[in-house]
Amino acid sequence: MVVGIPGALLFLKYRRFVETFFLELGAEIAASPQTNKKILDEGVKYCVDDACLPVKVFHGHAAWLKDRCDCILAPRILHIEKKEYICPMFCGLPDMLRESIPGLRLLDAIYDSRRGGLKKWAYETAKIVGADKRRADRALRAALEKAPESAASAGRAVRVALIGHDYNIFDRFANMDVIKKLGALGIGTVSADEVSDADAAKETGTLMKRPFWHFAAKHYGACVHLYKSGLIDGVVYLSAFCCGVDSVTADLIRDALGGFPMMVLKIDEHTGEAGFDTRLEAFADMLHRRKTSGNNRSEVRDCVPCGEGAF
Amino acid sequence: MVITVPRFGTACLAAKVLFDGLRIPYVIPEKLNNETIKAGCLVSPEEICLPFKAMMGSILECSEKGADTVLITGSCGPCRFGEYPELSQKLLKSLKKDVGMIVIDSPSAIGARELLRRIRALTGQSGRSGFAKVRALADSLRALSLADGIAAGARIAAGYEIEKGAAKKLLRECEKEVFRLTEGAAVIKALKSCRRKLRAIKTDPSKDPVKIALAGEIYSMIEPFANLYIEEKLMDRGVCSKRLITPGWWLKDLALKPLGLNSLKIKRACGKYLPSRVGGHAKETVAHAVISRKEGFDGVIQIYPLGCMPEIIAKSVLSAVQEEEGMPVLSLAIDEMTGEAGYETRIDAFLDMLEAKKKRGAGF
Repeated sequence: MVVGIPGALLFLKYRRFVETFFLELGAEIAASPQTNKKILDEGVKYCVDDACLPVKVFHGHAAWLKDRCDCILAPRILHIEKKEYICPMFCGLPDMLRESIPGLRLLDAIYDSRRGGLKKWAYETAKIVGADKRRADRALRAALEKAPESAASAGRAVRVALIGHDYNIFDRFANMDVIKKLGALGIGTVSADEVSDADAAKETGTLMKRPFWHFAAKHYGACVHLYKSGLIDGVVYLSAFCCGVDSVTADLIRDALGGFPMMVLKIDEHTGEAGFDTRLEAFADMLHRRKTSGNNRSEVRDCVPCGEGAF
Repeated sequence: MVITVPRFGTACLAAKVLFDGLRIPYVIPEKLNNETIKAGCLVSPEEICLPFKAMMGSILECSEKGADTVLITGSCGPCRFGEYPELSQKLLKSLKKDVGMIVIDSPSAIGARELLRRIRALTGQSGRSGFAKVRALADSLRALSLADGIAAGARIAAGYEIEKGAAKKLLRECEKEVFRLTEGAAVIKALKSCRRKLRAIKTDPSKDPVKIALAGEIYSMIEPFANLYIEEKLMDRGVCSKRLITPGWWLKDLALKPLGLNSLKIKRACGKYLPSRVGGHAKETVAHAVISRKEGFDGVIQIYPLGCMPEIIAKSVLSAVQEEEGMPVLSLAIDEMTGEAGYETRIDAFLDMLEAKKKRGAGF
C-alpha cells in the first residue's frame, strides 16, 4: 500500500516521524514535494475560500498526491493533551478534504488524547495499512526516536524570536524563506522549541486561564520567557491571514511585551514579496539601530507631537 | 456593583428581567449600531471575529454609563470564543477601565465550587430572599422562551400575512414595550398579549411563500445587528424564515450536555457529513440544513463572522449537503466592513433563484 504524505501542516515538522512509522509498518510512501506555485494554486482552487493559507496548502498537496498513492494521510486531530486543541481546522480537516476534492481516499484515523492518543492512532492506522499491533508498537518506537525538524539560525549579533505555527515557519515557499531573508539582514532567529516546556508553562501560568490551543500556550510562554531572559532583541510573529488562533495569541504576546519590538507578518496566497521585504528591512534597521544606540529611544521624539516640526 | 451584559439579542431581555427581579443595579446596552462597532474595532485585535468587536463596543458603552461588572459566559475551545474573557480583560486593563468580569463557565472547566462562587458573587448583591431569587430566574427564563416563541411565530407569519408588514410591526412594538417595563410579571404579561396579537394576525394559508432556514454562528444568529437584520429583510420580502439557534435552545443544550442528551436530532442528522465536534456550532449548522430540507424548506442561508473557524468547515461540508440533499445554500461572511447593498443583492438573487425553482417545480 502506498501512503501519501502531504508536505504541509504538521508533517512539515514531523516528517521524519511519519516516514519512519510507515516504512517500519511495511508500507510504501509517496511524499509530496516542497510547496510550489502549482501546489498552492491547486489548493486555492479546491479549498473553501475562507480557509487559511496552511489549510489551502494542505489541499494542494492532497490534490498532488491524489493519483500517486492509495491513500493520503490526514489524521483528525481532536485533543492533543488535557483540555488542549490545535484549532477547529484540525478537527474538521478530513471532512473538508473529502468534500472539496472528489475521489480522495484518506487515512483519517482519529488522534484524541481522551481516547488513547498516539497509540490508538498508531493501531488504527496500522490496521488500515495491514500491519498488526506488535509491528505498530515497534514502528511507533522507532518513529518516536526521530527528532522533529528545527528552524533556528543562530550566530548573529541581533537575534529575534521567530514565533508562529510550525507549518508557517517550515513552509519555505509560503513564508518566502523568511529565515534566510532575516539572515541576510544580519538577524539570527530563535524558535519557540528552544524554550523548555517548564519555562513556557511558568509564563502561561500568569494568564487568567491557560489557552486551550496547544500552540497558543506554547508560543505565548516561550516568547514571554525569551523576552524576560533577555535572549532576544525583538519578536517576529509569522501568522497566516485570518488565523483565528493567531489573532488572539499575537495580541496576548504584544500585551505582555509592552513596548518591546514586535512585528506581526501576515502571509496569504497573495502576499507580495516586495512589501514583505520592505517590512523586514525596516524592522531589521530598527533593531540594529537600537543595538548600537544602547536601546535608548529619543526623549525628544516622545515630547514633540507629530506634525509640529519634529524634523 | 452595577452589572451589565454584552448586547446579545433576546438574551438581553432575559438578563434584564433577572436583574430586575434580583433588584441589582444594572445597565442594559442599547441596540447595537455602527458607533458601538466602531468603538469596539478601535480597541480590538484587527483579525478577531466580529462578535468580539461588538462585545467590546457594548462593554465600553455601558462602562461610560456606570457599569463596573460584566457578566459573560465562557467556554473551553476549540473556537475563539473561549478566549474572549482573557482578551477583553487585558484590553480593558490597558484602557484603564475599572471593569470586572464574572465569567460563567462549565463546571468541568472551572469546578463546581468555583462556578457557585461566581454565581454567588452575582446573587450576593441582591438583598432579596432565596425564593424571590428563584422566582426572578424563573421569570427570566419564561420571558426568554415567550420572546423567542413570538419572534419565531412572526417570522413564519410574515410569509402568509394578508396585511403586508403586520408581523414585523407587531414584533417591533413588542420589543419596544418589553424593554420599557421593569417588573418580571409585567414583562410576561406584555409578552403574552403580544402572542395573542400575533395569533390574531390575518393570514392566507393558500399562499406558498419561499421558506428559508437560517443557520450559522451563534452570535450572528441571535444578535440581529451581527447579521444586518436578515430576518427583518426576509420578512419585508414576504419570506418565511426559521432558525434553530436561540438563547433558549442554547441554555437547554448546555443543561443537557452533561447527560449527553443534548441535540440528539442534530447528532443524527449530521453524522454522515461532520462526524466529530469541531467547536462552535458547525454541527448545528450542517444538521439544520439537513433537517430543514426534510421539513420542506427551500434553502439555507449560512451566516458567520469573517474568519469563524468552525463555520468555515461547515461551509465546506455544506457544499456536500447542497449536492446530496438538493438543498440550496448561500454562505454569507460578515464583518464590520460588510456593505448593506451588496449583502441585500446577494440575498435577493438567492431568493429569486429559489422562487423560480419553486415555480418550475423540481430540478436545480
